[in-house]
Amino acid sequence: MSYIIASDLNQALQILRDSKGQARVIAGATDLFLQTLPAELVDLAGLYETTQLEETGGLLSIGSAVTHASAARSLLIRSQAAALAEACAMIGSPQVRNIGTIGGNVANAAPAADAAVALVALGAKAVITDIAGQTRVEAVEELYAGYNRSTIDSSSEIIGRLLFKSCAAGEGSAFMRFAPRRALALPLVNAAARVRVSGRRIEAVRLVAAPVKPAPTRLFETEALLQEVIPGPEIWPKVEEAAAEVEVRGSMLRCSEQYRRHLVGTLAGRVLKEAYQRACAAEGGET
Amino acid sequence: MWGKKQEQNRSERNISGCGSYQSPEVWAKVTGKAVYGIDLEFPGMLYGKILRSPHPHARIKGIDLSAARAIPGVRAVLSAQDVHCNPYGIVVDDEMPLAVDRVRYIGDEVAVVAAVDQKTAERAMAAIKVEYEPLPAVFNPVGALDEQAPQLHEDFPGNVAWERDLIRGDPDTAFREADLVVEDSFSMPSVHPAYLEPIACVAVSEYGNGVTLHTALQSPDLVRDIISRALNLSSSLVRVIGPVMGGGFGGRVFGNLKLYILSSLLSMHTGFPVKMQLTREEEFTVGRPMIAAEINLKMALRRDGTILARESEIITDNGAYSAQAPWVSKTFSERNDSVYRIPNIKTRARLAYTNKVPTAQYRAYGNQSANFACESLMDQAAKRLNMDPLELRLKNCTQAGDTTVHGLEIKSCALTKCLQRAASEIGWDQRKSGRGYGISSGIHANGSLVANKNFRGASARVTLELDGRVNVFTGEQDYGQGAHAAFACIAGRVLGLEPDQITVYSRDSLVTPFSQGALAMRQTTVGGRAVQVAAQELQKAIIQKASEISGEPVSLENGLLKNASGRLIELTEVATGYHHQTSGLNLVGEGKYVPPASDYDETSYGNISVAYSFAAHAAEVEIDKKTGAITVHRIVAVHDSGHIVNLLTSRGQVYGGVTQGLGMGCYEGYLFEGGRVANSSLADYRIPTALDVPAIDQVFIETEDPEGPFGSKGLGEIVMVPVLGAIGNAVADAAGVPVTALPLTAEKVYQAMSGGECSK
Repeated sequence: MSYIIASDLNQALQILRDSKGQARVIAGATDLFLQTLPAELVDLAGLYETTQLEETGGLLSIGSAVTHASAARSLLIRSQAAALAEACAMIGSPQVRNIGTIGGNVANAAPAADAAVALVALGAKAVITDIAGQTRVEAVEELYAGYNRSTIDSSSEIIGRLLFKSCAAGEGSAFMRFAPRRALALPLVNAAARVRVSGRRIEAVRLVAAPVKPAPTRLFETEALLQEVIPGPEIWPKVEEAAAEVEVRGSMLRCSEQYRRHLVGTLAGRVLKEAYQRACAAEGGET
Repeated sequence: MWGKKQEQNRSERNISGCGSYQSPEVWAKVTGKAVYGIDLEFPGMLYGKILRSPHPHARIKGIDLSAARAIPGVRAVLSAQDVHCNPYGIVVDDEMPLAVDRVRYIGDEVAVVAAVDQKTAERAMAAIKVEYEPLPAVFNPVGALDEQAPQLHEDFPGNVAWERDLIRGDPDTAFREADLVVEDSFSMPSVHPAYLEPIACVAVSEYGNGVTLHTALQSPDLVRDIISRALNLSSSLVRVIGPVMGGGFGGRVFGNLKLYILSSLLSMHTGFPVKMQLTREEEFTVGRPMIAAEINLKMALRRDGTILARESEIITDNGAYSAQAPWVSKTFSERNDSVYRIPNIKTRARLAYTNKVPTAQYRAYGNQSANFACESLMDQAAKRLNMDPLELRLKNCTQAGDTTVHGLEIKSCALTKCLQRAASEIGWDQRKSGRGYGISSGIHANGSLVANKNFRGASARVTLELDGRVNVFTGEQDYGQGAHAAFACIAGRVLGLEPDQITVYSRDSLVTPFSQGALAMRQTTVGGRAVQVAAQELQKAIIQKASEISGEPVSLENGLLKNASGRLIELTEVATGYHHQTSGLNLVGEGKYVPPASDYDETSYGNISVAYSFAAHAAEVEIDKKTGAITVHRIVAVHDSGHIVNLLTSRGQVYGGVTQGLGMGCYEGYLFEGGRVANSSLADYRIPTALDVPAIDQVFIETEDPEGPFGSKGLGEIVMVPVLGAIGNAVADAAGVPVTALPLTAEKVYQAMSGGECSK
């Protein structure tokens, strides 16, 4: 087995090229280490390009190897993308958060990965470079080929960073999860939302819940209920009801289908309300 | 939480004892230097692996070991045909080391391999060919008792592993004449102690047919007897030496007998030491978790709250082999009857064989899971009577001087005070709205006579060493609960020495006195009393020898020997004097403690134990009404364990036991899918994390028990008894409806609140 800590993105791509499909990219590997490891590993965790976290022109760029712990404590993410900070703070345990990365959370393609759920709500896109030197940009929710299967081929493609618009004036986001214990437990349901308001009227809304489908899933019909609405107390039960219409699966180890749908409704309502209140509080330039 | 408050409690009530002394092993553990079973290595050591049945029930039509035997590095491959063993068991002899012609659960041991390393052993396992003919299986204990059900054991027709029909008093009249009858059904899944270190052992065959087994056990002497019986070895040729134990909680009283017997067989077969260890998955799938139970419970009361009778119909799930399940079922079925003054009892209990993992026990032996049901029914009765649940308990609770319905003679009991204190600490009279409160009482026996009616007590040997230090030899085991520290404190108190001048040895069956071991909460009470008596014997011997040396009467006070003329005599002087005089002997005190007349009749009526510990717990919880999610904010644990010998370890016991009770109450439980354990990892079998543990307030109400050393009683298991009742009742209070199936998950609470059936 070979384990190479790449020194920059180009070198990492070169190693992948040279290994002809034998090597695999890792960034944290907190999930990968539980499986049988491939013969060659290229570690992205220490690269300059993949560990940067910056905002330019209203666009947040998060390196794929930024750990959950650093994202959770980053003032930039906490103020401009609260949902992602909240999601990263709840993943696994302190040990997992210190090692696991945001890019890994996306590429591992688990259906209810907390960071990925927040990223989809925030409208994040992944910047992916392949061994041919081609770079493409794809919405995070488009990167799922099935349950726990990514469209990204980690023997020939690397997520360099994740991009999305930071929450400006009048915008807010939030993330919540419901799990059977307070740490080290997969969520029964998690949900995230991003809301933009103008004069308390909702102008734009993204609501995501999981596990619903293989990818974090937008609940468009629920979003539509809030579009161009000034939410009053009567709207939230309707929002919960609409969100609970979603089709989900039940499992013996987690919970029944019926209860999971109920949780999707409840969390959708709570997360939208929280994001909406934050958006209202951030109106007038305060973020 | 631990803190100043308890220090105040201590000084307020003037708790005596030896404070916070810890045995040296504790420091070895926290610095990572302790050697556990899993760390053991011996020269020439082989690794053993077990081939297990993939079928829940099947006939073995043929086994081909030839390919496995041909693999280089493989030293032995054995199936039932290759070994000559006796059937064995703990309560009944229903197991064989390797399946003879039939497998009865997924995981049943079929063949065993020893090889030079783990990988080779695994390859050999994969090369064994077994032909099975699957048989119909039964997984539900109720279904297993049906006449048409597949039969598991010829010797146990109807799949009944154990049963009991018991009547005390006149329950039928009591129910007829009652003002109120309450009734409900409860269910509890199987649970695993989930100790941190999976069971591991190394067997070393000795010249002359013996075997030395290195493994950490709570009851090494009892295990030694079973192994020697199964292997046809003379019992004194089997020696058990214990490394440090990485947690036991009842699960290591007998540990995994299969592993010990098979590693011994492999070692005797090859002549090399053989190491075997369970993976975490094997711990769950082939370990010995505690029985699952279904109970229908009825209680008759007078309008004023007097309890008249209790009736229970119980079915417990034995799994494929019995291990300790009959005894656990018995404790489950009766111990809670003695918490309150209940004059009439009717019990029908049946333990059913199923094609699932065999079962045993977990800290508190079923008493804790039954507490959940019994205490829920107490609250349901209080509600119907429009009575405060605390008042109903205070009205009925057992008192010192009582002989309970099952014949337990209660010599010391502060249950009333425990209940009152638990209520005042939790703020029973100022209960906050939006929160749920629950209270519960528990009793647990100290050193009950389950295993052997004729062996009631304990013995110990205490020696004076040449350097003036003292060694205590005992068969009682320290597995983290602090038995060694307690024994050092007890011997030190007798001899006037500091506990750190005393070393306690307990882990070698060849050297230490025979003992029942760390079960039935007997270590401090029964084992400690033997240490006390032995230390008193040594004290006498020291005084006598010192008088001989100095030619005049000698007194021993506060560790100082003084003769009548006032001269101080060093302990070393006495030790050396005797040593020279006898050409090498040490002064020894041998002590036995045989409890007075504990016995029971054929209906199990009688005073089965030396002493009884009591406790009351109160819980404060909050429920998210929309999701059913429970937050346990606080648990107050008030204990009557008599005199507290060591406050620090006692607090540790309470903290750990309450946490495990919380685990059973809210998180844990086996899930089965067609006989297969569905949650066989610590990711899916969820025990509480540090974040899930609430504030735990600990209060000790000290009684003076006439039997335990310096008036002390056991604490280890009782801690887990009232937690489940307290949490269950607090959840019912917050939800407005009882949830009657463990564990109390958010989904079950939600279903119960919405009137669904999932709570059942």
